[in-house]
Amino acid sequence: MQIDETSALCPGKVDFGDILRATPCFLSVQDRDLRIVATNENFIQTFGDAAGRYCYEVYKQSENKCPDCPVERTFLDGKKHTIEQLVVLPDGSKIPIIAYTAPVCGPNGEIEAVVEISADITPVKRLEAKLRESRERFRLLFEEVPCYISVQDRELNIVQTNRSFKEDFGDYVGASCFEVYKHRGEPCLKCPVAATFHDGKRHSSEEVVTSLDGRHIHTLVSTAPLKNAEGEIEQVMEMSTNITQIRELQGQLTNLGLLVGSISHGVKGLLTGLDGGMYLLSTGMEKNKPERVQKGWKMIRRNVEHIRSVVLDLLYIAKEREPQFEPVALKELATLIVEMLEKRAEDLEIDFQVELADDVGTCEVDPKSIKESLINILDNAFDACRVDERKDSHFVRFSLASEGDDVVFRIEDNGMGMDRETREKVFSLFFSSKGVEGTGLGLFTANKVIEKHRGVIDVESEPGKGTSFTIRIPRVRDQRIEA
Amino acid sequence: MERRQRILVIDDEPDVVSYLSAFLEDEGFLVLTASSGPDGLALAREQAPDLITLDITMPGMSGIEVLTTLRRDEHLNGLPVVIITGVTSFDKLTDYRDVRAPEGFMQKPIDLVQLLSTIEGILDSPG
Repeated sequence: MQIDETSALCPGKVDFGDILRATPCFLSVQDRDLRIVATNENFIQTFGDAAGRYCYEVYKQSENKCPDCPVERTFLDGKKHTIEQLVVLPDGSKIPIIAYTAPVCGPNGEIEAVVEISADITPVKRLEAKLRESRERFRLLFEEVPCYISVQDRELNIVQTNRSFKEDFGDYVGASCFEVYKHRGEPCLKCPVAATFHDGKRHSSEEVVTSLDGRHIHTLVSTAPLKNAEGEIEQVMEMSTNITQIRELQGQLTNLGLLVGSISHGVKGLLTGLDGGMYLLSTGMEKNKPERVQKGWKMIRRNVEHIRSVVLDLLYIAKEREPQFEPVALKELATLIVEMLEKRAEDLEIDFQVELADDVGTCEVDPKSIKESLINILDNAFDACRVDERKDSHFVRFSLASEGDDVVFRIEDNGMGMDRETREKVFSLFFSSKGVEGTGLGLFTANKVIEKHRGVIDVESEPGKGTSFTIRIPRVRDQRIEA
Repeated sequence: MERRQRILVIDDEPDVVSYLSAFLEDEGFLVLTASSGPDGLALAREQAPDLITLDITMPGMSGIEVLTTLRRDEHLNGLPVVIITGVTSFDKLTDYRDVRAPEGFMQKPIDLVQLLSTIEGILDSPG
């Protein structure tokens, strides 16, 4: 057999005796029968004097040699071999070792023995297990963390995603972030991932993304660079937390705050009006001033009506209900409204002009909400006249007509009118031009109701001249069902 | 009770104007009324009332603007002003910090006893 010169240990050249004896691992020299010829001190301390015994008896407490014995292989090929295996200590416990073998050759180059050095690798094995465990823990963390994680390359292509991401946005490794998250054809204008690639820093932003099932999800996005051993940024990790609920809650709280403020403001005005009415009524009776009594009584009645409509608006907003459509004879509905408001117009000395066409027929509407909306808009018209001191006489014109496929209610007044800003905000929630009197609920709810009927409200107005509201509702309900 | 002192009521809400003028007339004052800031300022210049009650939230010119204009007018800056408002927001109420604060401040709904004592206190105080 040819000996590999480079791998041969030639004790004849250098005397390694002391070094080998003291080396902190198990060292044994074995003959062709795997019989132990010599051992070092560490070996003796652990396994006792084993000279003359078979290696497998000592190391494995076995009667048969091991299936892939490295000593045997070194005898066969003259090369060094390495193997990991378990050895059994005299107390029966097992330890993992790594064994290295090398041939020991005689003066004529023949292999006379094989030296086997075995190192206890228990700490290494322990570390390996820990490493595996922490890798698994990290993988679990990555997968199970309750936010969307994607790892992206420089082209913003998704390299890896976690479970949450896959569930809500699909398993699209290789697709670009903007396609998957936003259904866009090109990168977003301000991309935090691109920014991190650019400067290596963390970036964050708030984004609205669209899930697989079409939900809009508000996310708080933060990015972090993933660097290679050379410190270059290879990928960027993007973590997005779903904050939709927080945003919704925030919106509701803001609305609630505005609502409370607006209501308390409006209620103060109405209470002042009621106080005023009661003052005029009681002092008018005391002083026997019938005019004052009448004025006070009108004030009370009007303010009570106001309170009623504020409460109804509130109820509408608090519990937005779906319209209950039914065929309604619109002229009758309009007549009912006129009857309800005639007295109010008379109190305010407003000329209430009514023009209801006979040919309007029936239309499928929610009569309750349509009635409240029309009363709301008419009330606003009356109010615009009431506070306008620049004209001697005021009118409110209420008409109903059939125009093409629509039915059209028109409410015109020659009250104080609105400037552009007021006109544009007139349907906004909590917007009121009426000082303490208004809650900003009335026209907002009216507009919502008309929208639910797939109708529109047009407003024309000029300060000082008056306002005209045109409410257009498609007659056939089928046409109102959105395509 | 005849006092013959003149009070200008500025409020865009006719109910409040009716209420305040009836009450103040019953208390013996002469009452002038205006439903907007510009009308109120014009009347103040023309009639030189002894006191103004002023609403804050009015369309167009707000009560704060009226107060600021009064205070910056050399002929009108001595006129005592009582704010009567439903506004409770501190920010809105302190917008006039550049000028002398109003002499009186009342919240709606109005406490008539308190209003009367505020007005009397101001009108009876020397200077």
